[in-house]
Amino acid sequence: MSLDLTYRNVSKVFGAGGKNPVQALREVSFTIMPGELFCLLGPSGCGKTTLLRSTAGLETITGGQILYGGKDITSIPPFRRNIGMVFQSFALYPHMNIFENVAYGLRVRKAPEEEVKRKVREVMELVGLTEELKRNPSPSGLSGGQQQRVAIARALVYDPDILLLDEPLANLDAKLRRYMRAEIRRIQKATNITTIFVTHDQEEAMAVGDRLAVMRRGIVEQIGTSDELYNKPNSAFVANFIGKMNFFSARLSGRGPEGALVEFVMRNITMSIPAGRDYLPASLDPGAPVLVGVRPEQLVVSSAETPDSVPGKVNIIQHLGQFVRYEVSVDPALSAQTFEIDMPGLVHGMAEGDRVFVTVKPGKASVYAPDQGRSE
Amino acid sequence: MKRQNLDASIDIDGGKGLKKFLQKDLTPYLVFLIPMAFLCIFLFWPLVNTFFRAFMKSGNKFNLGALGFSGFEKFLTSSLYQRSLKNSFIVGISVTGWSLLIGVPMGYFVARVKMAGKPLMLSLGILPVIMPSFIGAFSWIILLGRQGVARHYINLVLEPLGITLPSIYGMFGMIFCMTMTYYPFVFLLSHGAFSSANALLEDAGMLMGASRWRIFKTITFPLVIPSIGAAALLVFIRSIGNFGIPAVIGGDQYVLPTLIYFRVNGFWDLNGASSIAVVNVIITGFVLWLQKYVVSRREYETISASRVEIRQHEHPLIRVIATVYCLLVLFISLTPQIVIIVMSFFEKWQGLFPEGFTLANYLRIPRVTSRELWNSLYLSSIATLLTAILGSIIAYITERRRPKGAGILDMAVMAPFILPGTVVSVALLSAFSGKNWISIGGTYTIIIIAYMVRRTPYVYRSVAASLTQLNPSLEEASTIAGAHWIYTFRRVSVPLILPGIISGSILTFSTLLQELSTTILLYSSQTRTVPILIYGSVADGQLGEASALSVLLLLVVFVIVYFTNKSQGKGLSSGLKMG
Repeated sequence: MSLDLTYRNVSKVFGAGGKNPVQALREVSFTIMPGELFCLLGPSGCGKTTLLRSTAGLETITGGQILYGGKDITSIPPFRRNIGMVFQSFALYPHMNIFENVAYGLRVRKAPEEEVKRKVREVMELVGLTEELKRNPSPSGLSGGQQQRVAIARALVYDPDILLLDEPLANLDAKLRRYMRAEIRRIQKATNITTIFVTHDQEEAMAVGDRLAVMRRGIVEQIGTSDELYNKPNSAFVANFIGKMNFFSARLSGRGPEGALVEFVMRNITMSIPAGRDYLPASLDPGAPVLVGVRPEQLVVSSAETPDSVPGKVNIIQHLGQFVRYEVSVDPALSAQTFEIDMPGLVHGMAEGDRVFVTVKPGKASVYAPDQGRSE
Repeated sequence: MKRQNLDASIDIDGGKGLKKFLQKDLTPYLVFLIPMAFLCIFLFWPLVNTFFRAFMKSGNKFNLGALGFSGFEKFLTSSLYQRSLKNSFIVGISVTGWSLLIGVPMGYFVARVKMAGKPLMLSLGILPVIMPSFIGAFSWIILLGRQGVARHYINLVLEPLGITLPSIYGMFGMIFCMTMTYYPFVFLLSHGAFSSANALLEDAGMLMGASRWRIFKTITFPLVIPSIGAAALLVFIRSIGNFGIPAVIGGDQYVLPTLIYFRVNGFWDLNGASSIAVVNVIITGFVLWLQKYVVSRREYETISASRVEIRQHEHPLIRVIATVYCLLVLFISLTPQIVIIVMSFFEKWQGLFPEGFTLANYLRIPRVTSRELWNSLYLSSIATLLTAILGSIIAYITERRRPKGAGILDMAVMAPFILPGTVVSVALLSAFSGKNWISIGGTYTIIIIAYMVRRTPYVYRSVAASLTQLNPSLEEASTIAGAHWIYTFRRVSVPLILPGIISGSILTFSTLLQELSTTILLYSSQTRTVPILIYGSVADGQLGEASALSVLLLLVVFVIVYFTNKSQGKGLSSGLKMG
């Protein structure tokens, strides 16, 4: 039975004392529940892989503690941590057949031959490679998806306490990726091992993880379920990283217990944001620049002007099946980005290049403090 | 099982401080010390020693008070020194120039013209470099020497035109022999560049309306310049460091390596030899720097992921010209090997045909040379084994562990690659012969050490190359699975870099068997090797015996290389590219 995994103020500096020290992790603290499938999500360089490798012991953290089941494992060398890990490249041994690849961890532990055979057979059954095990080819004789399964089997065969998956799907093609992520979830739930899944793909993270942590610049920005992160992102960064968020530049004109009052830049539109969607820091003074964030499906594009609409121009119309995406540019002072607006169907009589008007569905906007690093 | 594992380690980790330090894996640091110590004692110290000796008067003991420039003054006063220096330059530059002229077209033809027998041409092309160069020189004497058969007949043809082919002895012979020995570097490297260039780039040029010649001039050729530059550098370094060819056919024309030999062998003047060695190294270093400066700014990525077939010339005339050209060059460069084989079965060869068929040359070998055969095998095997271990460890450490100073280690290991063999010998002699604290002059040990110092780059490069292709996550996966550093090294790293170790070792062994330039300054009557014996026989005019021994040597080297190439693909030809 797996236990919980806790990070307490974990920091990591690469090249400490050198000319260009890089702070990869800054005081990271959170807990992963026993048996949980936990996703670390973030853009490249955010520290997610460093945190994973630190958990494995492949990197030595420069500050803080990592605890497993309440016990400090920070200074245990990696080969004594009893962790299973699946690498992005799979890292299968080309000089061994798949049986020996999977058996490797058992051989290291000097398990008796009988046990090796039994455990390899069991785990190959779990990952769905019973037939391949009979032929027992070398890894190069398998397809990408099968190699992936061997890599998972190899990590699971010695009943690790923790399973680490480092971008495990990055080397597979798109269709297989969607299939394997469901497989990984099935296998993880069957073994119930506390698991960390690292990815930069938000769709993958949302589909796989029980909970997700969004990281940026060595900091955990937000932790929650997919639903929480999508519907209640607490920063402009998370909002735009988990799905798409359109931002209007605005100014804070007032705040109260019921929410915030904001005024769009260059437009005479005032909007009240309910307290549940107000993510501004408490210290922010009226008049401060803020961002009003709206999901693509919460905006409406129309040919008719209304008092609270913003004028723009349709650049591209894409029919994407369940909905139609309108890319609309507005006054750059109001938003430097092109808006993405998802309508349930084609808007009658609207063509690319047309002048249009954008409105926010009532009560669907959130407000955020401007984010310096949003362009990352 | 799993819980116990973790709990046990946590208990061990209860105490901090000393326990924590002891738990750190110290093995890599200990292993790191061995190669470091070897390099310090047998490379740095001898080189430093040589450097200081270079500034001392001949005959002086190692003594800081006696520093001066007398060793170098000879380059201003002695006409022999001046001529040697000039000759070295002329030889280096001419051999490089001719090798480019001969090798680049050949590389282009084999890569870009539709021809039969290309794999064979590539295999034959590599032979001159892996065969002992002084044997080539010696066989050209048979053909083009004073009584040379071929020379006699060529001159009959040339006489009406008022020109005569000079005797092979002297500058003409050195340049000719070295070109025939070293052009394969240019041929093979430029062939590699011409055939790996991205065909799409040329297709794009063609679609934009460029003519074939224009495409060659503006796209193809600029992209292969770095490779050709590297080959030119390799040829230059090898030719100004070559001892065997000038020693056999230089006649009264000395070059720096033979001058070093002359100082040591004739006068036992290590200080004077050191001065010459320093000058030799400065020239090499300067050229190396020049090449880095000129070529490294023109490095392009010529390998692309998409594999598009390169367009080949199919015009019959071009095909005929290319085939004839390649066969002619191959024939001339392989003539020495053929001549030696023929010669070894005859008593003498003075007319058009050799005379007096005999097997006596071979039958004499076991009786006369058993000691030398044994020495050659013994020295080469031991040195190869030790070099393989040393080179692999250094490669593993610099590539994987990346300790501080890995860059210096890399440079130090590669340094002997550009040092002429005679220079390495002088350095070792000046540090370890006579009354030094380690005195191993004339022993097997000094030869083995010299071999190791000179050949470690071969194994090192070869292993480092396989290591860079070995994804570190393969080793990490093993660590994560619970394996200790040593277990991982044994079960994962070594099996996967074994091909690199083997091809580096084979290259080392086959070149050590024919080693002349280092051994000639270090051998004693006890430690004489086969190449030394051949060299001696040639000097004594016993061509039959020398031929038989050479054939034996050629055969051994050829068999080794052939089977390696067969089992490892192009392991060896890529091994030769180092530099």
